[in-house]
Amino acid sequence: MNRRIANVNGWTIGAVLIIILLFVPNLSIVTGIFTPINENWEHIREFMLLKYIKSSLTLVFFTAIFTIAIGLSLAWLIAQYDFPLRNFMKWSLILPLSIPPFIGAYTYHGILNYTGIIQKTLRNHFDLTVNQAYFDIMNVPGAIFIYTLFLYPYVYMITRIFLSNQAASLIESARTLGKGSMEIFLKIVIPISRVSVVGGVSLVILEVLNDYGVVKYFGIQTFSTAIFQTWFGLGDLESSIKLASCLMGIVIFILLIEWALRGGKKYSFSSTKIRPLPLVKLTGKKAVMATGYTLIIFTVAFLIPVLQLLDWFVLTFGKVPMEEVFTYTKNSIIVAGTAAILIILFSLIIGNFSRITKHKLAKVLPKLTILGYSIPGAVIAVAVVTTFIAIDRYLAPIYLWLGVDSALVLSVSLVMLISAYIIRFFAIGYNSIESGYTKIGTDFRDASRMLGVSSLRTFFKIDLPMMKGAIFSGFILTFVDILKEIPLTLILRPFNYDTLATKAFQYASDEQIMEASQASLLIVGVSAIAIFIFNKVLREGQK
Amino acid sequence: MKRSFVLLLVSLLLILAACGNSTKQSSDSTDSEKKNEKAEVNLYTSRHYDVDNELYKKFEDETGIKVNVIKGEADELIERIKREGTATKADLFLTADVGRLYRAKEQGLLQEVSSDKLSKQVPDKFRDSDDMWVGLTKRARILVYNKDKVQPEDLSTYEALADDKWKGRFLVRSSESVYNQSLLASFIEIDGEEKAKEWAQAIVNNMARSPEGGDRDQAKAIAAGIGDVAIMNTYYLGQMLNSQDTEEVKVAEQLGIFFPNQETTGTHVNISGAGVVNGSKNADNALKLLEFLTGEDAQFTFAEANYEYPVNPDVEPAELLKSWGEFKEQEIPLEVLGKNNAKAIMLFNEVGWK
Repeated sequence: MNRRIANVNGWTIGAVLIIILLFVPNLSIVTGIFTPINENWEHIREFMLLKYIKSSLTLVFFTAIFTIAIGLSLAWLIAQYDFPLRNFMKWSLILPLSIPPFIGAYTYHGILNYTGIIQKTLRNHFDLTVNQAYFDIMNVPGAIFIYTLFLYPYVYMITRIFLSNQAASLIESARTLGKGSMEIFLKIVIPISRVSVVGGVSLVILEVLNDYGVVKYFGIQTFSTAIFQTWFGLGDLESSIKLASCLMGIVIFILLIEWALRGGKKYSFSSTKIRPLPLVKLTGKKAVMATGYTLIIFTVAFLIPVLQLLDWFVLTFGKVPMEEVFTYTKNSIIVAGTAAILIILFSLIIGNFSRITKHKLAKVLPKLTILGYSIPGAVIAVAVVTTFIAIDRYLAPIYLWLGVDSALVLSVSLVMLISAYIIRFFAIGYNSIESGYTKIGTDFRDASRMLGVSSLRTFFKIDLPMMKGAIFSGFILTFVDILKEIPLTLILRPFNYDTLATKAFQYASDEQIMEASQASLLIVGVSAIAIFIFNKVLREGQK
Repeated sequence: MKRSFVLLLVSLLLILAACGNSTKQSSDSTDSEKKNEKAEVNLYTSRHYDVDNELYKKFEDETGIKVNVIKGEADELIERIKREGTATKADLFLTADVGRLYRAKEQGLLQEVSSDKLSKQVPDKFRDSDDMWVGLTKRARILVYNKDKVQPEDLSTYEALADDKWKGRFLVRSSESVYNQSLLASFIEIDGEEKAKEWAQAIVNNMARSPEGGDRDQAKAIAAGIGDVAIMNTYYLGQMLNSQDTEEVKVAEQLGIFFPNQETTGTHVNISGAGVVNGSKNADNALKLLEFLTGEDAQFTFAEANYEYPVNPDVEPAELLKSWGEFKEQEIPLEVLGKNNAKAIMLFNEVGWK
């Protein structure tokens, strides 16, 4: 009993408070499971549900396989070998993350379709007409292609950091023992990077389950299109929330699998020698192959779409109003930055609570906060609006007392939008912070605490410095993701408040993809700068 | 240890307070702006065209009334207005499909608004029977065809597309498109549910490929030889004919344009429209904006910049649209498109129109 009370400390209070704050708006969705079924639901179940589950799972399954294959192989190449262009590729291979999948889908369709550059050239210069079927990407395999291209960096980035910083001694020992590359890869790299691969690929899966833009444009019916069609088409928010809670069920299932795959195992490196792996220099054919492979991925997943966007930008130059670009860019950076900082801060508190508290609840509770990532943005938006209006009602007397002449203050401000981002994207930041905590383990902390240093001081002096990498990668991932976000931003932003993503989306949704190129390029540009800085900071951290 | 945690909490609160302050400042500044200008109108709109912004700007210049805008998807905006209830800041709800106006009205989110000017500028047909919304622009859902393979004589009505001779030749986007939903909703009204379902089923059987892409993609698929006839909205064709991309222009030029059902029930027409929000604090300004948007100047701009048909009978459509000729429109009350929307979606699902 005493022990339990001793466990309740500041971290607990802080963590529980944040978890409640993050969870409350989701309550209205969780309760959706229990609402009685109506006739729409019968219709959905009869004509849609099975089809939708099937296509969703197909997308998830193959995207997961391909992102693992590409992400892990790239991470291993970069972490272990030196070859021409390696230093450039190391960070450039993350860049595809800066392209929102729906923009990627539009660009690839733009390139491949009848009026696209390939067919146009063949037709006009070589007088060749091609079989359209070979150029059609608006189908399930096409969507898997798009998701793989623009989401594999989740796996690559997380695994690479793990391999180059943490797995050095293991790989080095294997080398010393004379093991070949392939054997090391199969017997050492794959097993030890399981945790980070699973972490990365679960982000990919959640992203795919939640995507609406790509599948809508390609005409693929999935869970998220079902949710939207039920809400928009049938005007039945209740049934669509019910669908959303089914989706949430699937996600909880996936998270449980993730947890089981980790087997509760912790790879805690108590060695102080967190240092980069000495690189093996590749020469001759092997070097060409390594450079070629990374170059192909980089070209297909980043260079080609960006060149296409540039082409469209030039075509529509002068047609799209330019004068407010600076404002949109600034708005995007401010909201995404603020939300990402808060997410990291909250993650640090909850993660530390989960790490140092022995109670089982401390392991389970933080998982609840990840649920936001499983709920479609638009549904979260509704939940958040409802919550904030309730808060505003509650605070109304205070507003009156302060002389504010309006019943709605919070719910028309950026506070609402930023809160929604935090709920929606908490999983991304938390995932990174959690794996950071897992890596550093508790040995140093325990030592420090035993020497009588306070918990908070230990946190700042011992834990934080070791967490630098996790903090930066968490921040960049969340920042870039929020920069690309659409449904929440559209619905929750204050009056006259545009961001790059809303600008790009507004054009794209009206089939004006050429006009959307300017804002899309800026999203890519800002994200690329963020990724570059992140990489620089990380590298300096390693020195 | 406890003390240090309190420190951490306080710093957290400070950060939160700082956020709060900054937003409070911004709301203060909008408040003071309000006091300076005294006039504003808050718009929730699902139309995203640049030309709309130009028109709001012009309205501000002419009247001194500031236009504040939140853009989003129609249904999400409806949901937001609903949740905001009586406290809502929205004054005017503007959207690109009559079905959503109907839904807003049904949910009690709109209020009656009328003026002599509005009645003069917008024919009854494009206004709600209870004056809850008015149309701003209209677009026709027409047929385009491959001039080499199809003669205009081969085409007649939407219904005739169900014929076996179009098997494997017909193109249309997915049933998620609200334009298709409204089209089927109109058939439910005209021909009854059973016939509408049969038609949808026959169309699915005639499709050249399963629905993908937007309206422009259907046009391109004709040029590429995938199919011979497609359904699309007029203004997309206008945009393609005026595209910066010469290939798109070439595609559009290969297409013939056909207004179906001229001998029978008329070509299907949908509208962009707007209604004043129930509980609006600036209803007068909202009315002024509606009058402005349906006025000759704005109507001309809509038509010229976006190839939409004006609702104001005194305004001529753009030259391009005029060159396509006049046509007979479907003569059903527009609100039935909203009333039959859910039914239409269910029919689509039942016949497997993706």
